[in-house]
Amino acid sequence: MKRLVEIFLRRLGSLLATLVVMSFIIFLLVEIMPGDVAQMILGQSATEESVAALREARGLNDPLLERYGRWISGVVVGDLGESVYMKGVSINSILWRKVGHSVILAMTAFIIFVPLSIFFGVLAGVKEKKPIDSIISFFGLATMALPEFVSGVILITVFAVQLKWFPIVSVLPIGESIWQNLNIVILPALSITLVMFGYISRMQRSSMISVMNSDYIRAATLKGMPRKYVIFRHALKNAMLPTITIIGMNMGWLFGGLVVVETLFGFPGMGSLLMTGIKTRDVPLIEACVLLITIIYSVSTMITDIMYSYLNPRIRFQGGQK
Amino acid sequence: MKYFFYQLKKSPLAIIGIAIIVFWLIAAAVGPSMISYTYTQMDSMNQMVAPGEYGHLLGTDSLGRDILARIVYGSRSILTVALLTSMVSTLLGILLGFSAGYFGGKVDTAFLRTMDILMAIPPLVLSMVILGILGNSSIVSLTIIVSIAFIPATARVSRGVLLTEKSQEYVSAARIRGENHLYIMFVEILPNTTGPIIVEATARFAYSIMMVASLGFLGVGLQPPTPDWGMMVIENKPVIAQAPWTVLFPALAIASLVIAISIFSDFVSKVLIHER
Repeated sequence: MKRLVEIFLRRLGSLLATLVVMSFIIFLLVEIMPGDVAQMILGQSATEESVAALREARGLNDPLLERYGRWISGVVVGDLGESVYMKGVSINSILWRKVGHSVILAMTAFIIFVPLSIFFGVLAGVKEKKPIDSIISFFGLATMALPEFVSGVILITVFAVQLKWFPIVSVLPIGESIWQNLNIVILPALSITLVMFGYISRMQRSSMISVMNSDYIRAATLKGMPRKYVIFRHALKNAMLPTITIIGMNMGWLFGGLVVVETLFGFPGMGSLLMTGIKTRDVPLIEACVLLITIIYSVSTMITDIMYSYLNPRIRFQGGQK
Repeated sequence: MKYFFYQLKKSPLAIIGIAIIVFWLIAAAVGPSMISYTYTQMDSMNQMVAPGEYGHLLGTDSLGRDILARIVYGSRSILTVALLTSMVSTLLGILLGFSAGYFGGKVDTAFLRTMDILMAIPPLVLSMVILGILGNSSIVSLTIIVSIAFIPATARVSRGVLLTEKSQEYVSAARIRGENHLYIMFVEILPNTTGPIIVEATARFAYSIMMVASLGFLGVGLQPPTPDWGMMVIENKPVIAQAPWTVLFPALAIASLVIAISIFSDFVSKVLIHER
């Protein structure tokens, strides 16, 4: 337990350091963007004096570090600033609702792809080199390689255009909450599922194969244990470890994928909000979205690491085999 | 090499994969000269023509542009950018990863910390934001930004393979001979690590296609009128109910190419890992 606390604290420290550096990089990146924020607020017809006055009033002429300090101290107390494009609207008021939608989408996908890919991965691993394994492996290889929008387009053509089971675009009618419109979540979630399925089932398959060939499994089989018991009680426990790591590592792809899927379906989430921010050159909005994605991503990587250490008794008790 | 062909004979899937890759390479090289339409030519009388009608083999899009022509021209840009990206990111990865692993100590720690920070943001989000901010992506800017986003992955792999070779006796022998560091890294060690590096580079090629297609789809890739497979999908998405082929064909083009490359890289890694 002491060991786990130590891992946790060390990871937390490096997470904070990463976030500080990252927030500065994000700030720098958006600041070097061509185009003048003041000009953008006032529009093309603004006079030079009024632009200069606004620059002064907003503190855009201050040194870089000072502006960064102002921004980050706002972020720390939860003030993300105002959107430039939608004049005067605070980012807090638009961002969190969309983040909620994205979380629902990601969770739906997660609930579908994790059990599904682990199950088929185990099945393929147990039936190594049999036809069922070849089919699952090829399907995994194919879906893993496809960008989310390609599998999404195929899903739309089949389930929305031909069968008309789900809507083609995932727009939320004004004034309605996402809970009343859960059918708009299904197709985007399935597009994410297809990509993740490949990664996870392939990992599960290969770790299952190596575990099934180990001595203790052979011993368990030879002493006459039922095969189901051997697979689920003995083998799966060890074969899950690499899978958990790969699920955690792919959280990054999941967030990249969210942007793509949300754009394809017009889903009102954080990804399409970021896309809008980029298209309208809305600096505070881009900064807020990217920072949030970085935080979610880093925290999920950290949780993966901690879970891995917790589940692996070698690390938990002895401090790893370094 | 002989072993490679021996294995190839036994793997029909890999042959199909290679055939599809070769098909796209040929299409990119000579295809445009074999098609009677150009990618910008708008047939205003024949918008959203179904495949096969009025001399448009794959139909036309909502502006009346020939889809086959746009796909064939589009194969040029995506293959160029993806090939360049996988080469640049692999080379930079070798350079950085080898230096970090070879010198060790503080250099290595600095390298690992920097990579941790770069890895704190998903590669697609990183390149999308930078390209979106810079605007007007070209083949050069696309290649540079995507390569940077890929460096953490490629450099870590290179560092890993260097570390396994570093303790070999031939390295100490070279060191005792008084060879300089660059010579040891690139003339002594590099030839012994080609296997894993080729595997990484072919896998990187598949990732590059995915990434470039996704960036095009998000509208931050190559700008119109250059035809781009990803962009074709999002451009025609609004008419998917009336003319599904306008979206489906570019999507299938991406699918066939990416799956073929994945099959190929899977095969290469099986052969090279078995060989060792």
